[in-house]
Amino acid sequence: MGTHRHPNYVAVWGWLVALMAAGLAASVLPGGRHVAVAVIFATAAVKALLVALNFMHLRFEPRLIHAMVLVPLLFAAVLALALLPDFAMRR
Amino acid sequence: MATPSAYAAPAGLRSGPSAAKIAVWWFLASEIMVFGGLLASFVVFRLGGGRWYDASEHLGVTLAAVNTLILLTSSLTIVQAFAAAERGDEPGVRRGLALTVLGGVAFLGVKAVEYSIEVSHGFVPSAGIFWSFYYTMTGLHALHVLGGVVVNAVLLAAPRARTARRVEMAGLYWHFVDVVWIFLFPLLYLS
Repeated sequence: MGTHRHPNYVAVWGWLVALMAAGLAASVLPGGRHVAVAVIFATAAVKALLVALNFMHLRFEPRLIHAMVLVPLLFAAVLALALLPDFAMRR
Repeated sequence: MATPSAYAAPAGLRSGPSAAKIAVWWFLASEIMVFGGLLASFVVFRLGGGRWYDASEHLGVTLAAVNTLILLTSSLTIVQAFAAAERGDEPGVRRGLALTVLGGVAFLGVKAVEYSIEVSHGFVPSAGIFWSFYYTMTGLHALHVLGGVVVNAVLLAAPRARTARRVEMAGLYWHFVDVVWIFLFPLLYLS
């Protein structure tokens, strides 16, 4: 303990800010709405991944910790998919 | 340091993540379901709900963008506090934690200004389904920020408690709160 490599935290922060700016730009720039929404959520997903892997050190953690993150994410996705037909396909 | 006892587990069984780390991740797993349920129902309602989300155009994107920047930066400062704790740099730990607490308080201040602007325009939680979701999701998130501010402030105020492990555990929670906001911001304000 105490000797493992640290990610370059400031560089990660720089990427986070750049991705935030990209998402903001996509929301105001002219262009297709579907493209904008895709860019906005893609940048959000990459930001979340950057924080989880580097700040939360997930990329140094064993499979047990990964499983503890992935299982509830999977359940949340199943929940969304199970609800989806109920609303999205009505009318 | 406790004397080694006959009941200590063999070395091979003691490797792996600490009990504290497993406990924090276990807690975060339950939090993923709490926010995951809210986010999932919001997305589903919105996909199926016509154009009620036009309401989101009344939100102030500038203040929320400032808050996003504040929270992203506070994630950097608490992870720097952890790195400082690992190398025994006490002033570095103090500075990182103080900046993180400051960031959390600033976030809540900006959020309070946002709420007061919205309420003054008549956008109260009962103004429509978008506003119900908006206040529930941002309110629950703000409570989490408040909780994190308290934990980080306790660490800041108690020098002997500032071990690298405790700063790391507080950081894990704080980063999670940051990640939740990373999704709330585009969901509510940008799309």
